[in-house]
Amino acid sequence: MSPSPLDHLIRAQKRERAGMLRLAIASAVVLGAASTLLMGLSGWFIVASAIAGAAGLAVAHTFNVLLPSAMIRLLAIGRTAARYGERLSGHAAALRALAAIRPAVFASLAAAPPSEALSLSRGEASARLVQDVDAIETRFVRLSAPWSAVAGLGSAIALAALAGPAPAVVILVAALAAILSARALAKRFSTPARAAIQAKVGALKDTAAALVAASAELRAYGLEAWAGEALNAKAAELDAARLEAARAQGLIVASQAVILGAAVAAAIATAAPAGPALAALAGLAAAMGVDALASLAHAFDQDGAAREACERLDTILRHQPRAAPKLEAVPTLTILGETLAPGERLAIVGPSGCGKTTAIETLLGLRGESALPRAAFAWLPQDAGLVAGTVRENLRLAAPKATDDELWQVLEDAALADRIRAAPQGLAAYLGDNGERLSGGERRRLALARAYLRDAPWLLLDEPTEGLDAATEALVVERLDARLQRTGQGLILVSHRPAPAALCGRVVRMG
Amino acid sequence: MNPTYTQPMGARIVQIDHMSEAPKAVLKHLERSASPAGQRARLLMALDGLAAIAFAAGLAFGIDAIAQGRGMAPWLVLALAAMTFRGVLAHLTGVAGAQAAAEAKASVRADLARSIFGGPRRAAGEATTALVEGVEALDGHVARFLPARFSAAALPLVMIAVAAIASPVCAGILLATLVPFIAAMVLAGTAAAAESRAQFLALERLSGLFLDRVRALPVVLAFQAEGATTAALKRSASELAERTIRVLRVAFISSAALEFFAALSVALVAVYCGFNLLRLLPFPVPEQLDLKRAFFVLALAPEVYAPMRRLAAAYHDRQAAEAASASLSTFEAPTPKPAAAVATEAPTIRFEGVTVRYPDADAPALENFSLVAQAGTITALVGPSGAGKSSLLNLLLDLAPLTAGRIEAQGEIAWAGQSPLILPASIADNIALSRRDASRAEIEAAARAVGLVVDRPGGLDFVLDERGSGLSGGERRRLSLARALLKPAPILLLDEPTANLDAASEAALLDAIREAAKGRTTLIATHSEAVAALADQVVRL
Repeated sequence: MSPSPLDHLIRAQKRERAGMLRLAIASAVVLGAASTLLMGLSGWFIVASAIAGAAGLAVAHTFNVLLPSAMIRLLAIGRTAARYGERLSGHAAALRALAAIRPAVFASLAAAPPSEALSLSRGEASARLVQDVDAIETRFVRLSAPWSAVAGLGSAIALAALAGPAPAVVILVAALAAILSARALAKRFSTPARAAIQAKVGALKDTAAALVAASAELRAYGLEAWAGEALNAKAAELDAARLEAARAQGLIVASQAVILGAAVAAAIATAAPAGPALAALAGLAAAMGVDALASLAHAFDQDGAAREACERLDTILRHQPRAAPKLEAVPTLTILGETLAPGERLAIVGPSGCGKTTAIETLLGLRGESALPRAAFAWLPQDAGLVAGTVRENLRLAAPKATDDELWQVLEDAALADRIRAAPQGLAAYLGDNGERLSGGERRRLALARAYLRDAPWLLLDEPTEGLDAATEALVVERLDARLQRTGQGLILVSHRPAPAALCGRVVRMG
Repeated sequence: MNPTYTQPMGARIVQIDHMSEAPKAVLKHLERSASPAGQRARLLMALDGLAAIAFAAGLAFGIDAIAQGRGMAPWLVLALAAMTFRGVLAHLTGVAGAQAAAEAKASVRADLARSIFGGPRRAAGEATTALVEGVEALDGHVARFLPARFSAAALPLVMIAVAAIASPVCAGILLATLVPFIAAMVLAGTAAAAESRAQFLALERLSGLFLDRVRALPVVLAFQAEGATTAALKRSASELAERTIRVLRVAFISSAALEFFAALSVALVAVYCGFNLLRLLPFPVPEQLDLKRAFFVLALAPEVYAPMRRLAAAYHDRQAAEAASASLSTFEAPTPKPAAAVATEAPTIRFEGVTVRYPDADAPALENFSLVAQAGTITALVGPSGAGKSSLLNLLLDLAPLTAGRIEAQGEIAWAGQSPLILPASIADNIALSRRDASRAEIEAAARAVGLVVDRPGGLDFVLDERGSGLSGGERRRLSLARALLKPAPILLLDEPTANLDAASEAALLDAIREAAKGRTTLIATHSEAVAALADQVVRL
């Protein structure tokens, strides 16, 4: 199987973050080993001390207390430093990697065929760009888990081997049993439960959206309480799936605990002939060695979700951004059977719902391939289409390098400059989601200014004066006319109002 | 785009830096109203402490038995049994936590649904997000964080008390490492917690920024701003990543402190016990340990810190819940409205100088509007989208805020719109949604009156799926009209009853609308001239 686009991205990020990840792995190794050695050595030290102490003062004085007690303190400090290093470098690498991967997913989404990209609902977009990308975080953060497990387990086996081969074999067998059982249980129970959670969350979202959309109907028929119950009934299915996932996770944890208990008992029993001190060492080593696998078992439990997230992201990431075709010369344009020479003006009129907006969006290539490159058009969409950001950010969407003077000029032409100048932060005023801090008419004029800012031979304006009072409309239309004469741009105008339509030499009637 | 890109984000982070009281109230409510399952989860997780004590005892007595040359088997069996018990407890705790979370979420969801469906109308996206993602974010808080917090508060002291039975000095050592640890947590914790909370919310905002650009994708594509937008998103994302890493440097100090004091307590206990057993302590102590006591305390020492480790692991769940509760708390319980007077006569509806201004909107959706709809007549409201037609209908349902003016409309309301609610149930049950006690004959009469001819196996008993698959656009409107007809309400509101229908379907629906409006005062918001032609009065907005 060839590596998927996401694997490529992840691999590239791993290469770029190699230093950090190596530090995380080295820390994990120290952490795993130090935790096991600390407990094993402490146990041995106490038991050996007890034996020496019981043998009398003379023996006690010959017992070397300095080395083990110094080792114990060293391990305690080493473990602390290792934990800090592991967590910080692991998370730093993961955060930086995700900060690179998320925009890449967005870029691929933008490069996807419009039918695919634009049909993505808000819920789906959030599932892909937020939850799915978050799910692959574990591929970076948990990168060090196997190393920590191997180090902890390796130290445990090495310590137990001091008491003879049998306890070492016991720990190895227990570790294998722990890993295999965690994998098998995760595959059998966790993966289907987590897939069910994904599906049920989707179903709950659909139900919630349908009920919210029917608010008026629910209100009219006194079904508010019923709607709450219907929603909770749907949510109960989700929670049943969550319960299954909790059961599966509990099963994995329980199996690990039983194996740990058995490993400790067996290690002590098989190490007993080597004396109580080494038996203590073997027992505690077994406990720490199997415990070191816990994060690995947790990773198995979460793996199902990450794998599915990867598959979904791959379907987006196979679209690679391409260079946009250049505009060679000012093109003639054909819409609704009318052919327009550069600089001509056409008004499209007709009742709502007859397909005027669809015709414009088809021209723009938002509903499949268009005959002309997008560079030919500057567009005012019917819904204004502002982004969450400042006035300046919204305008510069059309011309990233535009100066403030140029921005004020187009705002002037859209009859919005006075309003923006009056705001305390001017061009830096934050507009909120979808330009919510502006009125409908102001949103429209800001989107109009944005269309003016783009250096394109054709202006496509969808209802530019909707929601404006007569005086403002007259001003906007007058300045539009002056602007067109100055720039020589062509115009396609959709409007049901006479004033802007009067600017156009030709009219197409639809419906 | 420009370098000022992230400034507004930074500015907003400051505002949400510390939590206001309302979101806390949501979490407090969750904590107080602990269900039996929640209490079970706490208790089970706390019982894990007892099992840990048994395990330590099994180890200590087992090793001691080897030293004494006695049989170790019973003690090893105890250790194994204790670990098995711990496993079972972990399983039960997880299950009880999930049940508690399900119950708590159901209660929050019910309150929220009451507010959303019974209170003033909120943006659809906001309401849906709150109902699904907002409520689900509370899951981990109830399932994992609350039980973990209970054991973290109770168990360490219990463990130390048990250790004191074996060795008071060791208990003193454990206590002495616990106190500075808690002090360190308080000092580092409060500073780091505030910062990491702000960071968590900033991450949520970043997700919002991505979603906003997906929403605006048509514009981004049309302006060929894909590259610039991606670059700007990348810049915002990496700036946030770097800021988060700076916060983590501090935040992880608390987890390092946890690690340090846990390791230190083991090391001090081991060294003290060793020297005590060797009788080499340079200072006098009131106790002389033996092997089983010393080993028992050593095996218990890591368990003193284990509950706090579990709490630290669940802290992310707490943050997610805090962030969600901030938005959940903006939904208020609706004030109960007096029941509509029961009127059977079609009333005259009057709007006098009515203004509707939605919260956060600069301009009113409707201003100083007056209208009289005579009893038993049809009034068509026409005008461009956004002119306030729907707001006018919503006013009568209390879905829009009446900012100024007066409304007079006596009687219950029947309503039909362009996308009626379709349930996964039979067509008959779907119609009966407006009157649950309607007889079969009444349902059939309503369906017949609006021309809903069901040409499917089972007729009205045909079961629809959630998407209403198989029903044409015209049939859905008829279903909605049949619903309106079934309810004996003297007022009928129709919101774009023929939108997105072709001319032939629209013409076919006009009779059904006329039938539904019979004997009622009817308001129709519409774009369609054909529908407006049905009306006794046409009002342009």
